[in-house]
Amino acid sequence: MQISTGVKRILSIVAVATAATFCVGQAMADDMKCHPEQLATKYPSLVGKTIKIATDGATPPYSMRDPNNFDNLIGLDNDMARAAFACIGLPVDFMVGSWSGLLPAVIAGQADVMWDTLYYTPERAKEADFVVYLRAATGGLVQKNNPKKIKSLDDVCGVRATAGLGSTEEAVFRDLSAKCVAAGKPEIEIVTFPDIPAGSRLVKNDRADLLMIDLGLVNSFIAADPDAFDLAFSILTDYKVGVGVAKNNKELTQAVFDALKILQADGTEEAIYKKYNFDHKQALPTEILTK
Amino acid sequence: MLDSLKELAGYVVQPFLLAGALTALEIAAVAMVGGVLLGLALALMRLSPVAPVRWLAWSYIWFVRGTPVLLQLVFLYDALPIIGIKLDTFTTAVVGFALNEAAFSAEIIRGGILSVNRSQSIAASAFGMSPLLTLRRIILPQAMRAILPGMANNTISMIKGTSIASVIFVNELTFRAQQIVGQNFKFFTVFAAAGIIYLVMTSAIAALQAVLERRFNFELKGNPDDAARFFGFRLRTAVPALALPAPAVKPSKRGAVELDKVWLKTLTGRDGGSERSEPFVVGRRLWKSYGNREVLKGVDFTVKQGEVVVIMGPSGSGKSTLLRMVNHLESIDDGEITVEGNYIGYAKVNGALRSVGDLASARAKARIGMVFQHFNLFDHLTALENVMEAPVHVHGETREKALDTATRLLGMVGLSNHADHLPHRLSGGQQQRVGIARALAISPRLMLFDEPTSALDPELVGEVLAVLRQLADLGMTMIVVTHEIGFARDVADRVIFMDEGGIVEEGPPAAVIGNPKHERTRRFLRLVEEKTDEDVALPA
Repeated sequence: MQISTGVKRILSIVAVATAATFCVGQAMADDMKCHPEQLATKYPSLVGKTIKIATDGATPPYSMRDPNNFDNLIGLDNDMARAAFACIGLPVDFMVGSWSGLLPAVIAGQADVMWDTLYYTPERAKEADFVVYLRAATGGLVQKNNPKKIKSLDDVCGVRATAGLGSTEEAVFRDLSAKCVAAGKPEIEIVTFPDIPAGSRLVKNDRADLLMIDLGLVNSFIAADPDAFDLAFSILTDYKVGVGVAKNNKELTQAVFDALKILQADGTEEAIYKKYNFDHKQALPTEILTK
Repeated sequence: MLDSLKELAGYVVQPFLLAGALTALEIAAVAMVGGVLLGLALALMRLSPVAPVRWLAWSYIWFVRGTPVLLQLVFLYDALPIIGIKLDTFTTAVVGFALNEAAFSAEIIRGGILSVNRSQSIAASAFGMSPLLTLRRIILPQAMRAILPGMANNTISMIKGTSIASVIFVNELTFRAQQIVGQNFKFFTVFAAAGIIYLVMTSAIAALQAVLERRFNFELKGNPDDAARFFGFRLRTAVPALALPAPAVKPSKRGAVELDKVWLKTLTGRDGGSERSEPFVVGRRLWKSYGNREVLKGVDFTVKQGEVVVIMGPSGSGKSTLLRMVNHLESIDDGEITVEGNYIGYAKVNGALRSVGDLASARAKARIGMVFQHFNLFDHLTALENVMEAPVHVHGETREKALDTATRLLGMVGLSNHADHLPHRLSGGQQQRVGIARALAISPRLMLFDEPTSALDPELVGEVLAVLRQLADLGMTMIVVTHEIGFARDVADRVIFMDEGGIVEEGPPAAVIGNPKHERTRRFLRLVEEKTDEDVALPA
């Protein structure tokens, strides 16, 4: 039968096409799925290791203590780290230390990765490799109802501003202050703080009008004490946030990169962002930066 | 308000915070022990006579004390892995804090050691105590009072200071409190709770300090009731009260005494009749100078067994130096001294004297008793303990035997009632009699007296000289440096008169004192007699 032959041919083509489509789909799905059991073939140098993750446990919403059990660490970075290494097939151990000691420990080999609000800079990339996955946003924290009416960085001349000692925000304030003076406006009165909660207390106790820091942190402060704080403004920056890995640990860098790619594709990342009320628009397609 | 207090109390007993407190305590405890031991070694190095050793210790202290502990910790933790040394967090913290503590406690300990009068270590050396034994038994117990407050400060600082170690992942109290605050922003409650936990810990240290200060406050020893009243119990078992039979002595109101000669002869191994013809002490061509000043210029002298030799002479004549050479308290620049034919702490190498390493053993073996102008009793020990110290700790006698001997000796010098008293509660005359008992307790073969009555009030001189006279009667070999002309005249077998580093004349007292040949001797005797007359005249 002519027709039947034709139908057969069509059917067979469809079948082949379907099969091909299915196979390709299968292959693509395979790429975007975790295979912890393939650790030994994919990353042989990591077999048997327990990954030591350096974190500070005091930077909400990225890394903090679980209010229900202080022995647990939660937060966006810690959850991402757990998910990533589960995906790779490696057990983890969190090493909690003060933030400034984290990257040196990774470089020295005392810890394997630093996964804690680490901004990529070319300077830092000379010491460690980065797997970035997030675009940083900056927020302005002010007292409730924004008494100084600060809506953007155009409104900061003459205010008392606070930023972390040696932070990028401090540099921004110094820059802006010089511009204020050049424009004949009063300069910015800059106060630096040693740790972030101390900075928030400056604002709360009316010792400073504006605190500028990572948006995630600012939102945490507001969520924790909505009667005291408001968000003045937020700015999406060009800063990339990532995982720091020692230069001599290329296979680990690759493994983290592969895992992050999967987490970004399979919705795990979005779920974690959502859990911490974090805007998923800040997510950045992961990439490895070594310079 | 009540809720806030409840919340505060909740954080004070929060296991997460208490675990941090425990970490701080563990690190501080181990680091303190290590730091103090290393600090003691550094302190001794700083006091060493060997210059490079001093410099080494000084450089260490200079560097460690001069750089921030935070940087030292980061260095230990993050830089040592480069050369293959990978310390874990706890070890790094302990090592870092211990190295730091060593530098600070070295200076505190050195200060404590320097605060102890040098007379203490001189007396200890004279009795053959080794430097380490002297340090442990004599110097450190007295230095502790000066050392303890500084050490307590350091301990408290360290417990609180472990928070710096959060940079190397030490999760102690402050850091844990910061983390809770980072999570819930209740800084007031959480920090207050951490503060309370710190106060509890540091109060424990302060209490320990108080207990230890009492323990090392030897002035409380004479009247332990004070301490007992304060604490409700005794911190230290006192030396057992003297329950021994009263010795055969007849103490008079001035403490004049009669020695039990038979027993003393057995104690000092002198049962008579063993007189040797060759001299017991021989000094040949002795030279000594301090810097450019020559103190002794080729002195020769001998002392026969059983002889009492009195050395007289103006100050600066070299008589005390000569005396101290006999038991090697002073080194000899040239010449030699033998006691019973032996060098003390020297060996002859190619015809020249060389100091041997173990001077203390040589002194102990020689059994030379020494009595000092300023008594040099061990200030932290009772009269009884002073007498027992060398027999027990140098000569290895049992406590029972030493206690028995010491009790009898103190009884003999009329101090039975003062056996449990510390030196500072005794009069000068009493202290000097303890000093004599202490020297006799080592069964001496030779007794050296370095101006034994010069520091005494005139009315106390007699009671000390009375003891010396009886020792002389006993046949004890004695070298006595003194200005007591009457004593020399009555007791000495021979008098040596020295001036300007040499012997001017010597001979029986009748000759040297009764009929001096040299003008220098006559002039000196006139001066001393005038002074004695004044002293006697004054109280009248």
